Amino acid sequence: MTIFCIIPAYNESKNIAQTVTSVLSYVDKVIIVDDCSQDKTIEEVGKINNEKIKILRHPINLGQGAALQTGNNYALRNGADIIVHFDADGQFLAEEISQVIEPIKNGEADIVFGSRFLNIKSDIPAFKKNIIMPLAKLFNFIFFGIKTSDPQSGFRAMTKEVAEKIKIENNRMAHCTEILAKAHKYKFRIKEVPITVLYKEFGQKFSGGFRIIKDLFFRKISG
Amino acid sequence: MTQQVIAILILIFFVFKLGLEWKKKSITINEFVFWLIFWVIGVFVIAFIKPIDRLVMDLGFSSSGINLVFYVAVLLLFYLIFRMRLRMVKMEKDITELSRKIALK
Repeated sequence: MTIFCIIPAYNESKNIAQTVTSVLSYVDKVIIVDDCSQDKTIEEVGKINNEKIKILRHPINLGQGAALQTGNNYALRNGADIIVHFDADGQFLAEEISQVIEPIKNGEADIVFGSRFLNIKSDIPAFKKNIIMPLAKLFNFIFFGIKTSDPQSGFRAMTKEVAEKIKIENNRMAHCTEILAKAHKYKFRIKEVPITVLYKEFGQKFSGGFRIIKDLFFRKISG
Repeated sequence: MTQQVIAILILIFFVFKLGLEWKKKSITINEFVFWLIFWVIGVFVIAFIKPIDRLVMDLGFSSSGINLVFYVAVLLLFYLIFRMRLRMVKMEKDITELSRKIALK
């Protein structure tokens, strides 16, 4: 099974080299989708000499969701069997890729979401853990019928069939809910596995949550 | 009467600004004509607000003409925002597709 890892990156010159190097031994191909970074992200990746790495570059900044879809398109055209989405900021642990793709390899699931809230291993900021995430979970359940433990998981793996069916239309951060919602809608076999998140910064803020809701709302009414 | 004069002066200012935009070539002839007609209608509505009041009463509305103008204006604005939103969504989609094509080339 050919495993592609998609890493969307925007102004990640500080972390990108370490992140890319860490995932190399767990996958067959690493696709870095640079979302028109203004810093030296591309140069940092260019320093790593490895034929597994492919850099794609958006000519303008579109958002993380758009970068993931660009990566998915590339992976599907180039023979991916399993596609892993991984953040560039170094918050995820590369060694956990094996655990995330395991249920797909075993034929137990079509799409696997890494969850920060199953057997909590991460030091999640209290406000995020107790206020933002429960509200996001409630939102996902009321509007999309989604019951997963982590409403905004960015670490996920899917089969090529799932990637062919789920087209990410939300360019910005609402893609997390969109992927979850579409996976439910198309009745794919979903599984969650516990992951560790190393919080360097707070991550998604409360205001970001409102932006996600706004994006989802307008995407919904515009069809 | 004073209110009408002030309102008409404001609309004349808008027409003047429109002329400047036209002179700078930042709007097309179609846009210029559309907005010019729009503001000229506005001037006529304000200038002839009393006959419009009578017309509104004859049509069976209990409010005055100026209120009806506001209702229509708000409805029109909502519709224009809706149209603009649709156009923006389509543009964003097109830009995304184009950028993706360039990235994957």
